[in-house]
Amino acid sequence: MTLWVAIAALAVINFMIKAAGPALLGDRPLPPLVSLVVHSLAPALLAGLLIVQVLGEGWGEFDWTLVAGLGVIGVLWLLKRSQILCILGGVVVTVIIRALV
Amino acid sequence: MSRPGSEPAFGWRPGLRVGVGLGLAVFPVAVSFGALATTLGWPPLATIVCSAVVFSAGGQLALLTTLTGGSGLFLALGAATLINLRFLPMGVAVAGSMQRPAWKRALGAQTILDGSWAAAYQGGGRYDRLTMFGASAVQWPVWILGTVVGVVAAPAPELVESLGLDLVFPGFFLVLLLDSFRSTPRAPLIAGTAIALTAGLVLVAPSGVAVLLSSLAAFVVLIGRDRRDPNRPDEETTE
Repeated sequence: MTLWVAIAALAVINFMIKAAGPALLGDRPLPPLVSLVVHSLAPALLAGLLIVQVLGEGWGEFDWTLVAGLGVIGVLWLLKRSQILCILGGVVVTVIIRALV
Repeated sequence: MSRPGSEPAFGWRPGLRVGVGLGLAVFPVAVSFGALATTLGWPPLATIVCSAVVFSAGGQLALLTTLTGGSGLFLALGAATLINLRFLPMGVAVAGSMQRPAWKRALGAQTILDGSWAAAYQGGGRYDRLTMFGASAVQWPVWILGTVVGVVAAPAPELVESLGLDLVFPGFFLVLLLDSFRSTPRAPLIAGTAIALTAGLVLVAPSGVAVLLSSLAAFVVLIGRDRRDPNRPDEETTE
């Protein structure tokens, strides 16, 4: 039951977040400092999600082969490859490393 | 998200073309979400419905990891909401390009996705809503289909690891994070702060709490700002 409530609530919240700007603000921008903090939430949360995925609670899920794959993704991103190529490259290298060790 | 070409065309058809490319990228992510949710005990129907009505990889994964990690409803919703808050400034940015009245703008804004939003940017603060609609119209069914495939196939954790699929989500977050370096002022500083903060927090707190508190790193963007000019317009969207 909690799961269905959570899914429904997140769907509604997501709708409201996306609709808020265009529907309520129209052409009026957020105050500069508020806009700056809201815009900065994305890199902060993406970094947080990344670390949680890599380390896990208590650093119990740390896997160096995963970090190597992420390194390859970073290099491919620097080479301006597409998102799918970056991730595919990281996956391939991770699989190869795991097969070798 | 990189632009699809040096001289992109805008409109429904170019949007659909962009959507095919983006769909190829989101499909394995959707498969991974479906498989991971099934592995962690979510019922198949709930997993598929979640993809259909939420349609946000970051938000869905945050909900999944926090709920199955033992966090309560409000904490899970808080983490997922904070992740999706990035759509708020995106919505503000496209507001002037959307059709009136307000309800049409609200509905049209539901097509805001990271890739679609970036593809619709025409420069000079203008966005092409039809490009955004087209790109998202392709990704939505692909996202649902990928989730169904993940739920049905539900590869075992060992298989997921041996195929390297456990890299898809962190890889996806890394690429989005790196993309944000191009569009968000001080993003490397914010990310570095969040990484240090989260790496410490996961030693002592549940993962949901760590993700939620990583948002505090966003406030480093304000450091030193009041001494310069608090009313100075921010320099975002430099792509």
